[in-house]
Amino acid sequence: MRIPWALLTLFIVINYGLLMTALVQKIGARVGRRHGIPIWQNYIDMLKNYALRTSITHGVMFYLGPVFRLSGGVGLLLFVPSIYGSEMFANFSFAGDLILALYFVFFGTLGMALGAAESGHPYSAIGITRGLSQMTAAELPFALAVFAVALQYQTLSVTEIVAAQQGGVLHWTLFTNPLAVAAAMMSFLGSMMRPPFDVVLAPQEIPIGPPTEYHSSFLAMMQTNRALFPVAKIVVYMNLFFGGAGSWPEFFLKVFLIYMVSAFVGVVFPRFRVEQSIRWFLIWAVPLGILAVVLV
Amino acid sequence: MDWIAMATGFILILMGLYGALTNRNILRIIVSFSVANTGVNLVLVAVGYMRGRTAPILDEAVPMADAVTRIIDPLPQALVLTAIVIGLGVTALMLTYAYKLYEEKGTLDISKCRDLKW
Amino acid sequence: MVSPLYIIAVGLGAAFLLGLLPEKWQRAAYGVTLLALALMGWIAGSWLWAFALQGAAPVEIFTAGTQPPFAINFRVGLAEASLALLMALTGLHAALYMRDTLFKQGRRAMAVLLIFVMATCGVIFTRDLFNLFVFMELVVISTGGLVLLSADRRALGAGLKYLIVSQLVSILMLVGMVFAYHATGTLNIDGMAAAQVDLFKGGALAFFLMLMAVLAELKPFPANGWGLDIYESAHPAFAALFSAATGAATVYAADKLLLIGGAQWLPLASAIGIVTFVVANIFALVQDNDRRLLGYSSIAQVGLILTVIGQRDLLGEQYYFVAGGILLAHAVAKAGLFWLSGLVAARGLGDWAALRGHPVLVFAFVTFIALLVGLPPFPGFYAKWELAHALAANGQLWLLGLILFGALLEAAYLFRWFGYVLKREQPQTGLLLQAIKEDVALSAVVVAWLLAYLWGELSGQGNLLQAIPLLFALLFLPLDWLPAKLKNGLAVAGLVGWFYLHYPSYDALQLIFAAVMLPGGAIILLASFQTQQRRVGFYPAAMLMFAGLAMLIEAKTSFAFFAAWELLTVGSYFLILRGKHSEPHALSYIVFSLGGAFLMLAGFALAAQGVPDFKIAALAQVAEPFAPWVFALLAIGFMTKTAAVGVHIWLPGAHAEAETDVSPLVSGILLKAGLFGLFVLLMTMGKQQLYGVELTHVMLWIGAISALIGNLLAIFQEDAKRLLAYSSIGQMGYALFGLAMMNHLGWLMALMFVINHYIYKSMLFLSVGGVAKRTGTRDMYRMGGLITLMPLSFIATMIGIIAVSGVPPLSGFGGRWIFYNAIMTAEYRLPMVIIFLAGPIAFLYLFRLIHTIFLGQLKDELRTVKEAPFWIVLPQMIFVVALLVFALVPGMALRHVDAYLAPFFGGQSGLDWAGLTITSEFGYWSPVSIMLVIGVIFATLFAWLLFVNRRAQPVKQFNIVFAGERPFRPETTHFAWNFFAPYRKALGFLTQPLVTIFWETLTELLHSAADILRRMYTGNGQTYAIHLLAFVIIVYLLWMGGL
Repeated sequence: MRIPWALLTLFIVINYGLLMTALVQKIGARVGRRHGIPIWQNYIDMLKNYALRTSITHGVMFYLGPVFRLSGGVGLLLFVPSIYGSEMFANFSFAGDLILALYFVFFGTLGMALGAAESGHPYSAIGITRGLSQMTAAELPFALAVFAVALQYQTLSVTEIVAAQQGGVLHWTLFTNPLAVAAAMMSFLGSMMRPPFDVVLAPQEIPIGPPTEYHSSFLAMMQTNRALFPVAKIVVYMNLFFGGAGSWPEFFLKVFLIYMVSAFVGVVFPRFRVEQSIRWFLIWAVPLGILAVVLV
Repeated sequence: MDWIAMATGFILILMGLYGALTNRNILRIIVSFSVANTGVNLVLVAVGYMRGRTAPILDEAVPMADAVTRIIDPLPQALVLTAIVIGLGVTALMLTYAYKLYEEKGTLDISKCRDLKW
Repeated sequence: MVSPLYIIAVGLGAAFLLGLLPEKWQRAAYGVTLLALALMGWIAGSWLWAFALQGAAPVEIFTAGTQPPFAINFRVGLAEASLALLMALTGLHAALYMRDTLFKQGRRAMAVLLIFVMATCGVIFTRDLFNLFVFMELVVISTGGLVLLSADRRALGAGLKYLIVSQLVSILMLVGMVFAYHATGTLNIDGMAAAQVDLFKGGALAFFLMLMAVLAELKPFPANGWGLDIYESAHPAFAALFSAATGAATVYAADKLLLIGGAQWLPLASAIGIVTFVVANIFALVQDNDRRLLGYSSIAQVGLILTVIGQRDLLGEQYYFVAGGILLAHAVAKAGLFWLSGLVAARGLGDWAALRGHPVLVFAFVTFIALLVGLPPFPGFYAKWELAHALAANGQLWLLGLILFGALLEAAYLFRWFGYVLKREQPQTGLLLQAIKEDVALSAVVVAWLLAYLWGELSGQGNLLQAIPLLFALLFLPLDWLPAKLKNGLAVAGLVGWFYLHYPSYDALQLIFAAVMLPGGAIILLASFQTQQRRVGFYPAAMLMFAGLAMLIEAKTSFAFFAAWELLTVGSYFLILRGKHSEPHALSYIVFSLGGAFLMLAGFALAAQGVPDFKIAALAQVAEPFAPWVFALLAIGFMTKTAAVGVHIWLPGAHAEAETDVSPLVSGILLKAGLFGLFVLLMTMGKQQLYGVELTHVMLWIGAISALIGNLLAIFQEDAKRLLAYSSIGQMGYALFGLAMMNHLGWLMALMFVINHYIYKSMLFLSVGGVAKRTGTRDMYRMGGLITLMPLSFIATMIGIIAVSGVPPLSGFGGRWIFYNAIMTAEYRLPMVIIFLAGPIAFLYLFRLIHTIFLGQLKDELRTVKEAPFWIVLPQMIFVVALLVFALVPGMALRHVDAYLAPFFGGQSGLDWAGLTITSEFGYWSPVSIMLVIGVIFATLFAWLLFVNRRAQPVKQFNIVFAGERPFRPETTHFAWNFFAPYRKALGFLTQPLVTIFWETLTELLHSAADILRRMYTGNGQTYAIHLLAFVIIVYLLWMGGL
């Protein structure tokens, strides 16, 4: 019975993700005094790519890479309740708690890394090493923040964490535990593939990093994920720190605003090298996270 | 009297030791040890000596009955005899070594005999 | 029964008879010699039989028809008879061994040999001081004669030096004796003891001089240069006599003499003994001449026995058991080693590699070394155990510490030597084999094992040689000629059978560990079916390790636990040493392991406080002030095995250089022994505070830092097996961390790691080993693109790394989930920061592992590589299945342990295992649902992609978008070397090898100190005489000044 509803959630979120990422890109373009892409550009790209036929593959793992990637996105979305208080949009959250969501983030990353690596393209491997390196430091403040939040509410269940934040804006973790949220949001910047932490894709010097060799429907699948995954990840943030969402409109608004944080930072700052970003996270974000954990 | 013997004995021991530690020549070392051994024997005898008593020989002069009060302790003297014999044996062995070493190395300098070390 | 006096009489008589024989009758003379020695041995043996088995009372033998003190008397009891037997037997063996030399030198040499043996027996029997002096001088003179039998001309100098020193000794002895006589009026030892010589004026000084004289014969530091020279240059058979017989007899003389002085002189003996023991062992570290090394070792062992003599009052009725155990072990081992040295042509330690062609001789060598070091099941092991307990129970902790330190040094140089034997280049004509010499050496092996059995019987702790696992392991020694496949089958059957027979008696915790170690070991051993031929030495070693593991799990007493621990340590050492380049790594493994084991020994001894049969469970009752120290000692001991940071440096080399099927054994299984120990420790002792510091808190930090450092170092390795080895350090850090949290879920997580780490690390080591076997290298950057050529290995690796990384849906996630639930109730939060940092770093090395080996560009020279051999792949596939099963139903194994652990935490169950969902106080997790959801999504997407791209076909490996250029070569296109360069820039400072530098500096300091200080042995006889005088004067100042 949950399956149709889960598919519905998936459908809504994919469409929303496609539109939102296009919108944010357009906003970014306008900041740079360009016109930007049409709002439906993502649909065009995806349809085109899915429609392309290819005769090229680099092997089994190459095939599995996008599958892993998209499974990671879809799974992450479905293991976390989208709408608080709604039986229908609680998805498959019965399968596991916050920890499942946290670790499932890596499922796609790892699978993608495997797939891209089989292409044999050195740029893919370089991109992956950069991504993984940066991730180790970027995830640390987030893990600390999650730990702090779990300690604060004495639960690991996402639903219960959201429940504990109901009853007014001031009950959000954002206000009850600002240090944790600050640490988590810094980590958030690092995981959104936007400047200053976008050296992984590094569009200028290594043509699009890990996905270098992907094309046609492989690429389309990853593009789907690129629309889906940020939203899924933001849902986790929203649930943990910003009181969750009681309805779809609230969901859309909060996701958009949280996404915009990284967009704002992204259009303002230039890019870090990997070791710089590692140091940045360790020096600025981790202490906040430690404080949050200690002070809870 | 007995303290003179004892003091002489110790002086001989010390002389012997000094000689053994300062002379490089193996033969001199052996002689030094002989001197020291003599000193040791003297000390042994001196320790056993008791003033005013006679030699521990049981004959008419010293009847069995009052022997305990009239003779000196015979044991140190027996020790000395044995010690002399053993000393002789060791000295003979050392001389043999000295001879063999001289055959081997053509010198009697003990500081030249340092193939084994550390 | 013949009077023991005939031992003396036969020796003397035969010696005189030899003098009467015509010069030509060489054979007759030799026959008389052998016969006399055999007769002496027989008399001693018959008395030993009478004393030991028929309970005869010690006999007093009066000479000259009167009682002491008017005549000399002998006393023969159990100790005297056994020592006399030792003298006669070593003498007999020496005569056999030196047959050629004796024939060449004629009957006089044989007579001297007889006099020597007779005199040592006299030293042992006599109860009269002067008689003691006479026999000692006879020993000196006959030694002077026998030294000359050597083919080495340098022996001349050595003998002279010995005579010079013995002159000094006799002066001391005589002067001391006559004054002691003057004071007490008797020369009888017992009479003098009754008279209490110390009470008289000058009596103490007189006794001091006599004691110095006898101790000087024991070669105390520093007055022992002459002894070393004799050991180095004498005929090996005489060196054996000199070490075993003279040493034992003089030790017994010292023991008798100390009766006179009484208890207040005992500490002096201990002090001199322990200094000699430690210093001689330090000096031995830098020796490269085998016989001189053995000399140092002899001096050290005698020093140890002197130490034990000094603790006579402490040991009480255990005294003869302990002293005898060490003494006999030393005598047999040293004699055996000297005899072996006569078979080796050259004198360097590395030249002993010549033994390698003869497995029997190697076995003899191992036996002697184990006997010397005091490894189970040899007498020294039992003796060391009792000694440590007595010392600890009476607060002699410094002494205990020094003894263990010295013993560790000794083990270090002996095992280093063993490493040379197995690993150094084998000289072509390195052996001077002669059947009789070989037999003599091998007879010592037989005696060694008999003694092992005997001491086991006497110990009252349960005879290790009756433990079935150990016997099973030893069974593989005689079976070593069988083909490896057969032995492997037997080994597998043994492991599984033992587990099948015993698992009903295990509790939940034991069951988990036993399942991992025994049937788990059997699965890994499947890979050993791959090997061809006989594989000499593998199975005894492997089964020794498994025997230790099996016994460890079942151990009820601290003794059984410790014995099992040493067995598994030694077994695994032999296994590790088998690797091609593993010599230094195996050495560092055994040194760290034995160091840890000695700490455990000290901990157990401290805990027992003299209780003879100390139960492991009784650790819970250990009270202040010992409890925290016991805890710390045991914990460090166990953490040495789990390679916690600080004592981890042995692991990477040891695991990486081991053979393909050994790496998973020592990594997947052996590391768990340390965790088992920690489990037992924490379950019994709980939290302990030392100076206000919570020790489990310290462990928490150690665990966290190990996890970080292990993971961090792993990502910078180019060698695949080293990478996995470092990863083990990290994984064990996690487990340690879980244990140290001291909460229910923390322990459960540690157990989860036990199972998980066993499965995936064994699997990864096997697949990497298989790849290394096929490609001929372990450097990952030399590989690449092997996925199509070795698909099964790839699958195993992929499943393995997903499991290690903790990504759902595989079982690693379960560990992470329990971890998060556990830290929710942990008392300390700061160490989590480090653990959190360590977590994602694992991704880096895991990705590197799979990418650089299986993905990326295939090299030209590897295009013909085949899949790993069937027997190596098979266990991997079993592990894949096991991993999937364990991922789906972790409750199957864990729920029982969960219930088992509950009583330790107030009876509350940690997790709720009802249904398919596992629920904790904070969260929930349903492995089956997760697997289903992910499976369905994954399958759907995959099917769709397959459908969409159904016409796609693989392209050539250079068909890539290379920025408009053509890739040059696979080597330059395969991105693999220095993989995480930016990471090194950012966090490389954390990988400074500080710990390695620390330990290297320490060993370097010891070695340089030894190398500088041993130059005090200038080789000049006069210097040695001065050493002796200085020794006497210094001891006088320190001791009499303080009296």
